[in-house]
Amino acid sequence: MDFDLKNLGMTEEKLFSFHEHSDLESEKITAPRYSYWQSVLRVFFRKKSNIVILCLFVFLIAFAYIYPALTEYNRFGELLNPDAKHLSPSAALDYFGWNIKYILGTGASGQSTFDAIWDGSRISISMAFICGAVNMTIGVILGAVWGFSKTVDSIMMAVYNVIGNVPYILLISVVMMLFKPTFWTLVLAMTLTGWLYIAYAIRIQVVIIRDREYNLASKCLGTSTFKIAMKNILPFMTSIIVTMLATEIPSYISYEVFLSYIGRGISEMTLGRLIYEAESAMVTSGWEFEFWSPVAISAIITVVLYVVGQNLGDASDPRTHM
Amino acid sequence: MRAILLHAYQREFSPLTGEGTDHQRGKNSENTVSSPARGDRTEDWVREIMGKYLLKRILYGVVSIIIVVAIVMVMIYSLLNRDLVFSNDSAFTRQSSNAQVIYKYGKWEQFGYLDYVTYQEWLNVIAANGEIDEETRTEAMNLGRKPESDSDTVAKYVAQFTEYYESQGYTVTRLNAVTSGRKVITGGQQALFAAKDLPLLGRIWDYFTGIVDIDNIHKAAEVEGERGLTFTLFDPLYGGNQFAPAIIGNGTEHKYLLYFDGQFPFIHQNFATIQLGTSYSVNQGVDVADTMSVSQGAYVLKPITFPTGFQENSADDLHTAVYRQGSREALEMNTVRFNDDYTVVNTIKGGFSKLGYSFIIGILASIMAYCLGLPLGVLMALKKDTIVDTLGKLYTVFIIAVPSLAYIFIFKGIGGAVFKLPTTFDMESTSKLIFVLPIVSLALPSIANLMKWLRRYMVDQMNSDYVKFARSGGLSEGEIFSKHILKNAAIPIVHGIPGAILTAMVGAIITERVYVVPGAGNLLTEAINKYDNGVIVGVTLFYAVLSVASIILGDILMATVDPRISFTTKDR
Repeated sequence: MDFDLKNLGMTEEKLFSFHEHSDLESEKITAPRYSYWQSVLRVFFRKKSNIVILCLFVFLIAFAYIYPALTEYNRFGELLNPDAKHLSPSAALDYFGWNIKYILGTGASGQSTFDAIWDGSRISISMAFICGAVNMTIGVILGAVWGFSKTVDSIMMAVYNVIGNVPYILLISVVMMLFKPTFWTLVLAMTLTGWLYIAYAIRIQVVIIRDREYNLASKCLGTSTFKIAMKNILPFMTSIIVTMLATEIPSYISYEVFLSYIGRGISEMTLGRLIYEAESAMVTSGWEFEFWSPVAISAIITVVLYVVGQNLGDASDPRTHM
Repeated sequence: MRAILLHAYQREFSPLTGEGTDHQRGKNSENTVSSPARGDRTEDWVREIMGKYLLKRILYGVVSIIIVVAIVMVMIYSLLNRDLVFSNDSAFTRQSSNAQVIYKYGKWEQFGYLDYVTYQEWLNVIAANGEIDEETRTEAMNLGRKPESDSDTVAKYVAQFTEYYESQGYTVTRLNAVTSGRKVITGGQQALFAAKDLPLLGRIWDYFTGIVDIDNIHKAAEVEGERGLTFTLFDPLYGGNQFAPAIIGNGTEHKYLLYFDGQFPFIHQNFATIQLGTSYSVNQGVDVADTMSVSQGAYVLKPITFPTGFQENSADDLHTAVYRQGSREALEMNTVRFNDDYTVVNTIKGGFSKLGYSFIIGILASIMAYCLGLPLGVLMALKKDTIVDTLGKLYTVFIIAVPSLAYIFIFKGIGGAVFKLPTTFDMESTSKLIFVLPIVSLALPSIANLMKWLRRYMVDQMNSDYVKFARSGGLSEGEIFSKHILKNAAIPIVHGIPGAILTAMVGAIITERVYVVPGAGNLLTEAINKYDNGVIVGVTLFYAVLSVASIILGDILMATVDPRISFTTKDR
């Protein structure tokens, strides 16, 4: 064994001096400092494409909330002006002069398609985030209980098998008919049973890791159930929850579009309603922009939401932190 | 990551749950996936346990179906505002005053909300029973404009009516005539009636006991000749000299109870008919089961000979003759053609039924999805982290994230503009090309879904210890792949196959709407929009049965494919 002691950067006396034994010190485990959320961010930003997509995400959200607030969207903009209706982008820019409002042309009542899209996006995104927050909160908490308790499990399985078979469209339609078709009614309709599917997915995860050896060991050492749930199981679930959120939030926008399309939407001009009302424009030559631009914007928004969520979900999986 | 596995969304909306026609819903399957089989079990023992377990599962399924129907009945009959029925009814708005109220109650009775009896109806009934004579009946009919102006006879019977129905729990309402000066205004006629909401339990009981209707020889009110069944080897409809066994009834509701003909499935029976609920507004007076299963499109005319010998080019299917009292006498058209009151016949049309269109499109889309999705998923897993994998991932992200409506329109746009395929369904068209776009639109999202899951299962298997062990044991990559990885990864995929086949019948809401396919997918949305309670309940029952059946069948199939899965693990 040939060690070059000089390379260690210590004097010979220091290297071979006697070290004081300390009981306290010997209990400490030497490991690099590890902070979970810092590592999540580090892994997330390690990929350059994530920075681009995150910028796009922030830009889209900011634009959807700030732009409609700055410009007053008028749904019946130029209702009385027959020349302003159904203009293609170039015609609209010629007609009104260059203005960001008209870069996507005008709609059936001479309103700006661009304004309409961002106003609709704001409502759709808000709806998706609120539904996501409500469903996820209820779903995760109930799912954890569902997975832990055997009595709750048998009851909830029966509930799940019944409610899962009630046609979802019927349920939403009934709620929408019971109350006025407003934003909050839609949120209510979507969250009434929406949490159940999330809770079911969480329950399976809890069941899988509940009886793992490390939890068993923890239990033997006397850790309380609450602490097991918070310290042993919850960190395991973070990446799953974030990944689920990534699928959930775009799915609410998709639902909303679908509901508007079958005539069960809300009275505000959401993205879905825009697509629904412009459907006839798709086949009329010269009007295509009215239809394709909300379709494209909704697709971009949902894809960006999904990709950011998926990548964040990947980054929050501790196994990727090495 | 398995959470998402069981919560997968595929974005085409099936009316079943409103969610994707998601073959990985994995309901219940959690209970059945279990540890490897114990070695000591014998075949018989397995079969016995499986029989018991299945019976239990089926019972649970039936109970949950009943609860689902009950919930739906509560939702539509108790929670919804009944006045909504009239929101698009022009006949309602045209009426005024008392006539409007009476119209309302009449409609509510037809929609199945309540039982409604007018004073006049009651008088007619008791007169028919012989409790009062004709003269008294006529006299008692003349209801006064106000209770004070009733004659003695009227007052007596009004009191009797009120007392009788109030003791039965009905609410008796008397509407006084609405007058303007001395004249009664239009629709302002006085009225007296009793109404009672139908109780939920009674409604559920009536519904479930009425689903299967068994024909018997005492159904028809009055028939010529002796009631009974005749068995013949020579069906009179084929001229009486061609061999065609048939059972013909007299006194039954259907004339032909068993017969053969040239239409699929060639042998038909009418002993038991399924009645899921009568439509009121979607397809007036027709049962949901018939609405879904009768052919659509243009009439197929061919020369036929009616029982009287009358010959004509007609689309009537005489085998479907149903009894209606007095119908032969009532119409000259029937007198010329028929010898008896079995005059109500279905017609033969050129197109498929609603279920037929949905099923053809759905099943072909499923086949296409499995044929393309499975190899592509395998390819993605094999070429992990290469360009093939990345392209596949991009495609699945597109399908998951983009709203289904948007991508179906994109497919429609591309198919119409680039491939010049027809985008609007036309039943008269002989070209089969009209099926292409709906099938492709329905298959593409399923392909993405299958690719995603098969890839994930395979990658999971590839990293598992037994594969490493097999490799260290010297098995070739090809062997490991085909004998171990693929077999194990395919097991969860197998679970979805019965579901894919059964839910194909249900149809797809958006696809059918976008391509104007006359399928069954839109039945529920249409019924909701038209407040057709009978159809809503019937369709819900149909969906619930399909969904329960496909999960049970999926579990059975999975257990047959994978010997490690047993139905007997209560001990976990």
